[in-house]
Amino acid sequence: MSTGLRSILSVLFLLFMGLLFLLPRQSQDVLTWFGNPLSSVLEIPLTFVASVQQKVEETLDHYITLQHAAEENQLLTQEIARLQGEINHLKEQAIISEEFEQLATYQRLTPMKTVAARIIGRNVSNWYRAVVIDKGQHDGIAQEMGVITEAGVVGRVIRVNPRTAVVLLLTDPNVAVTGMIQKSRDEGIIQGTPQGTIQMKYLPPLSPVEVGDQVVTSGLAGDFPRGLHIGQIQTITKADTDLFQAAEITPIVDFAKLEGILVITSFQESIPVDLPDPLPPPAS
Amino acid sequence: MTILIYLLISLAVVILQGTASTAWAIHEVHPDFCLILACVMGFLFGEYKGLAMGLIVGLLQDFLSPGGLGINMVLKGLSGALGGVVTHTVSTVTGPAIFAGTWVLSLGSELASLIIAFPDVNATNFAYTLTTSLLPQSVYNSLLALACFWIIRKCHPQKSQLEPWSRH
Repeated sequence: MSTGLRSILSVLFLLFMGLLFLLPRQSQDVLTWFGNPLSSVLEIPLTFVASVQQKVEETLDHYITLQHAAEENQLLTQEIARLQGEINHLKEQAIISEEFEQLATYQRLTPMKTVAARIIGRNVSNWYRAVVIDKGQHDGIAQEMGVITEAGVVGRVIRVNPRTAVVLLLTDPNVAVTGMIQKSRDEGIIQGTPQGTIQMKYLPPLSPVEVGDQVVTSGLAGDFPRGLHIGQIQTITKADTDLFQAAEITPIVDFAKLEGILVITSFQESIPVDLPDPLPPPAS
Repeated sequence: MTILIYLLISLAVVILQGTASTAWAIHEVHPDFCLILACVMGFLFGEYKGLAMGLIVGLLQDFLSPGGLGINMVLKGLSGALGGVVTHTVSTVTGPAIFAGTWVLSLGSELASLIIAFPDVNATNFAYTLTTSLLPQSVYNSLLALACFWIIRKCHPQKSQLEPWSRH
């Protein structure tokens, strides 16, 4: 830059400084008049940079928020899973409680003396349809005791250990219970089959048994009182050469879903003991 | 100490049998974990260990079974011992040998159990049980024994070969 130009610039600067201090308002107007177009020119890159900056900030914020959200999401997912598990657990508890409540209510109402037990094992041996219960000799359980639920007959205690017992289910061929058709009062033997079903054998040939008839215990064998529900007749078979009728029974108890049972420790027959006095002999 | 370990393993397997065999059942065919344990012990560790394990697991199973005490004990003990004898006879334990051996032992053991449980079983029921339960169960047991053998061999490759008779 030449010395002359430097001098001109210095003078202009001093003049501008002088004007700014001596005539501040007027100088502001002049500056505004000059500055407006310049500011308009500057606005474009500024807006662009600002928008980019905003975008970057937004992206960063979003990313950070997402990071938090992802963590939060994971935590919430875990929380939901935990709560879901808790709900299922509580539902399960409620169902079990309900089942055991029904059993307990039945236990309170029934005149039989029973011991409530929980099923802790199934089919330990493959050739028997049996369950293991958590009550044994110490709880007053003995062999041959009848086992029921509030629905009906389950089976019979076959082995007793000090703290556990094995119950043979009614579907096992080794279990036999005396039963009768509730409507016609015809008696027969209820026994399991190798196929896992229950059949009623030795029904009188002239018994008017029909499909759908209810079958109950007859109370003759001594391990079950009279009148406990066993199931209902599903099919009746009698060949011409057979001496007796036989019937297949649909059990009232769902053996696959058993969780709690009652072991009958003692009972009184439901048949009234105090029968009316016989008529006095006619006076001679 | 060995007996204690056998006892603990047997206890675990009997509990598994009592609680999980229903869950493992396929079309009402339940696996017999106790028999599998006895057989695998016999096949992999020899007839004496198979016999010991079979006796213990069988006795524990008897306590929780409706049948007479000692039936499972004898059958499982025999299965374990025979497993060891078979292995010594064929000299090398292979997958097919385990499968075939367990199948035969399972079938024999279950047949004996069936006859003890139902001495007066008629031909119709026997045929029904044989086809719906005995044969499928023995195959199922064999497959599980094979799986156990495979797992053990992966963990202990030296267990695929038993010592010859002379070393016992």
